[in-house]
Amino acid sequence: MGAFDLLGIAGSSLGMHQTWLDSLANNIANVNTVVSTDQNAFQAQMVSAAPRPGGGVDVAGIALSDAAGMVVHDPDHPLADADGNVRAPAVDMSSQMSQLIMAQRGYQASVQITKYAQETYSSALSIGGR
Amino acid sequence: MSVSGIEAMGFTPYVAPQVPVAPSGAGATGATGAAGAAAGVQGSSFGDLVLDGLDRLEGVQDRSDQLAVKAATGDLQNLHDYTIAATEATVTTQMTVAVRNKAVEAFTEIMRMQV
Repeated sequence: MGAFDLLGIAGSSLGMHQTWLDSLANNIANVNTVVSTDQNAFQAQMVSAAPRPGGGVDVAGIALSDAAGMVVHDPDHPLADADGNVRAPAVDMSSQMSQLIMAQRGYQASVQITKYAQETYSSALSIGGR
Repeated sequence: MSVSGIEAMGFTPYVAPQVPVAPSGAGATGATGAAGAAAGVQGSSFGDLVLDGLDRLEGVQDRSDQLAVKAATGDLQNLHDYTIAATEATVTTQMTVAVRNKAVEAFTEIMRMQV
């Protein structure tokens, strides 16, 4: 346990939420990335978090969604196969946007903790002051 | 044998705190010697504490500076790494200054003492 544990824990949380935000941005960016049916669809990234033993949080891993995606009928698409189908990623936009709000709120909460941490440490320094 | 107890406050030269704790003398020093030895140990540990704090402050500020350079050159992976390091450096600096102020305050308080 060190003097700046509060900042370290908040920092680990910021890191995890940053990774989450990055992967959500990647998923949303590729929501319209369609490929031909003989290729794998874009696989959405899903961040899983794990508590850090000494305090804090770590990214346990990034799971990938199903490569099958959704086969969509779009004969006008240049990548369409003989049946007029293309493969679109199975990314649920509303779920991604909801998670984006959650990740953003978590990030903001961690920033707030760093502010409180600095205030707390500063107030500890004023003990015994005149 | 010291005439006054001023040595007990750590105003002796820097080598004085390194005198062995137990002089195991003939008992001539008595209570004054014991008090001086105890105070010597405390003064030494306080000095070490301050030096340790200064070392840590330097390390924290170095880290903050390195991250600031990284942020300026665009090599910084996470923005919060720098801001947290900067916060740590700020608080550590404030703490070191607070310790220094306390030490100076104690010194002036003792110097103001009427003997």
